[in-house]
Amino acid sequence: MIKRTVDIIATLFLWIYFTLGHLFFFLPAYLLAAFLAKDRERAFQHLNHLFFRGFFALAQILIPGFTLKIDPAVTRLHGSVIVCNHVSYFDPILLIALFKRQKTIVKSDFFSFPFLGWNLKLSGYLPATATGSYTELVYKGISSMAEYLSSGGNLFVFPEGTRRRDGKMGRFNKGAFSIARKCRAPVQVIEILNTDRLFSPGHALLNTCIANRVTVMHKGEIDLSRAQKKISTRELIRQTRRIFKKMPSTPETIPDNDAR
Amino acid sequence: MDRETIKNKILTIFDEEFEIVNPGENEDLREIHGFDSIDAIELLREIEIMLDTELTRDEKKKAMDIRTFSQICDYVESLSADRG
Repeated sequence: MIKRTVDIIATLFLWIYFTLGHLFFFLPAYLLAAFLAKDRERAFQHLNHLFFRGFFALAQILIPGFTLKIDPAVTRLHGSVIVCNHVSYFDPILLIALFKRQKTIVKSDFFSFPFLGWNLKLSGYLPATATGSYTELVYKGISSMAEYLSSGGNLFVFPEGTRRRDGKMGRFNKGAFSIARKCRAPVQVIEILNTDRLFSPGHALLNTCIANRVTVMHKGEIDLSRAQKKISTRELIRQTRRIFKKMPSTPETIPDNDAR
Repeated sequence: MDRETIKNKILTIFDEEFEIVNPGENEDLREIHGFDSIDAIELLREIEIMLDTELTRDEKKKAMDIRTFSQICDYVESLSADRG
């Protein structure tokens, strides 16, 4: 009973931050960015980054057992196509909180939601489908991707496309790898652990009364700019899967003084 | 540009950009070769280079319904004819 009450209170506070925080604290900043920013896309990405940093800072205050341990090698990533496992709805917002300049591929339906759709478009995020009204958006996003990556921005993608509940590695969609290959951008493989313990698929409430260290680790890199021969997309996927499988997931290898 | 030239150019693009060699004329590219929406957008960009033109919003939208190699050739042939 006490656990459920604590779960409800923490979830409620974070939802309030998510909705009213957006409306009252960040909407004015988004509006200013929309009308005045020289580089609107960059400004929106930065605001998203700040908003979700705030979200996780608040989560760590409200949920005493919740800590974040981020591999410093992850926070240094730039100009890369970042591929990551996907176990919880918290994964994309955690990655936005980690990278100041970030783009990702988002479920197309979200682009028709009020405010969210506007934010996604102006942040330069890509819809997952390119049909109908999304064609132009995907076309512009893909056309400018090489320049975006070479200027230091990151594109993060969950190649399995959906959250995994069984701990196994699913089939990879090739979109992110085609983009990396085309742009000759490095592919960075990272792994998120334990966001599913905090916000489990199929549950409405956060699981707050447990000690839970959410970890983000850098597992490896495939540097396409250094590859002598043009590597095929299939080979790129094969190498990425090998990196995912290569090392056991051991957050202990990340030094404690770098935990955030 | 005649059909044969278009066909050869598209075949080259498929081989070099999408690692798809000699697709069947009426094979479903998505089902058989995993040709996804990002590939389709890349193909549009290659077609623009090939025809030295910019495609309109409607032309791009129309391309997203294409499923086979033969339909791609029809599409490029029609674009080429429209532009004289």
